[in-house]
Amino acid sequence: MLKKSVKIMNKLGLHARPSAMLVTVASRFKSEVFFTKADLRVNGKSIMGVMMLAAEKGSEITIEVDGADEVQAMEQIVQVVQSGFGEND
Amino acid sequence: MQSPVGQSYIFAIMSEISVERLYAARNQDLELTLLNSGEAGLNKTIQNPELHRPGMALTGFFERFPNRRIQVLGETEMAFLIRLTPDRLAEISAKLFDYDVPMVIVTKGINPPQAFIDAADKHKTSVFSCRLTTAVLTNRLSAYLDHIFAPSVNVHGTLVDVYGVGLLYTGKSGIGKSEVALDLVERGHRLVADDVVKITRTAPDVIIGSGSELLGHHMEIRGVGIIDIEELFGIRAIRMQKRIEVEVSLSYWSETEDYERLGVEDHRTTLLAVQIPIVSVPISPGKNITVISEVIAMNHMLKVYGENSAIEFSKKLSQKLGRQASTKDYLESDFE
Repeated sequence: MLKKSVKIMNKLGLHARPSAMLVTVASRFKSEVFFTKADLRVNGKSIMGVMMLAAEKGSEITIEVDGADEVQAMEQIVQVVQSGFGEND
Repeated sequence: MQSPVGQSYIFAIMSEISVERLYAARNQDLELTLLNSGEAGLNKTIQNPELHRPGMALTGFFERFPNRRIQVLGETEMAFLIRLTPDRLAEISAKLFDYDVPMVIVTKGINPPQAFIDAADKHKTSVFSCRLTTAVLTNRLSAYLDHIFAPSVNVHGTLVDVYGVGLLYTGKSGIGKSEVALDLVERGHRLVADDVVKITRTAPDVIIGSGSELLGHHMEIRGVGIIDIEELFGIRAIRMQKRIEVEVSLSYWSETEDYERLGVEDHRTTLLAVQIPIVSVPISPGKNITVISEVIAMNHMLKVYGENSAIEFSKKLSQKLGRQASTKDYLESDFE
């Protein structure tokens, strides 16, 4: 299992569109994906769960990936978050 | 039987409440007034649902003093305090607040001596005056704290009220939990929560599931997007909370796994230390999970009312086999 913390960098936080991007990437992999913010832990492949995190700019989420393709999954998920979901603010 | 809920789908929620939140939420019901000069004490958190009357502590006996509980002072304690000399009162008050108690409530609308409040201010602890009697306050506050501190977890799943039976669907992301719920709603059943279900144990053998404020009764249907069940189907299609009675574990059909064929044995799963029946349903093309769900709910009700179809049928079969055997015995021995 891999675990990594990342900061949400885009101005609007984890609103609907970034959430959708995140679960789309997470769903490409066989591994189980979980996101945690404070004491709320949700399934990374479910958009409702990810939106429930209500992660604003500057907040930290912990990514957990567990499964055969966890290395690539973690790499791509982190990349999507760090790219600011393609939002230039 | 393995339940997905038993593994990584279950996330514990920590329970605590700040004095500020308690004050804001129960202020009217408990008729509280803050007596401190400032509001610094409101930042403290309450981590224990029990109340304590510090009678012994006021006499100076602080051994085994449960300082993490809310301290409730009634008429008796107040009558004792005002009888103390000013020095002793200051000393006892300082010692009491030195124990870092979360908050103090004085009942019957009594105002404690100023030295007591001064000591509280110094240790940034809130003192409230409450107009209720100690007995009424204890009842109301305990009920509220029990609710706040009831053990709870978040589960990745979907909760639907089917014929009054709470069915909790679990299974991998994308297996179709939301779609089953949608189909059930269409047939007149009620959605409680989709995707994230908060489960709270309210009594030793009762677990209640509810949704989150933010998600409400929204759900994601793959290919369609996010829909609002309340808007689409109206108030009759939703429910705020429901006792969870059966877990329905959805999985992809596997040739290698053996599925239940009789239903004579009860498979059980444990959620928050409460045992509930679990039904494992494999998904395969052409299978109507909605109707199966209704049957699971009705079958559960039959069992609750003391009727177990599988056992009844198995008994009937055994009787018939017994009868056949004795007829055969009779005929075989009847040679002339």
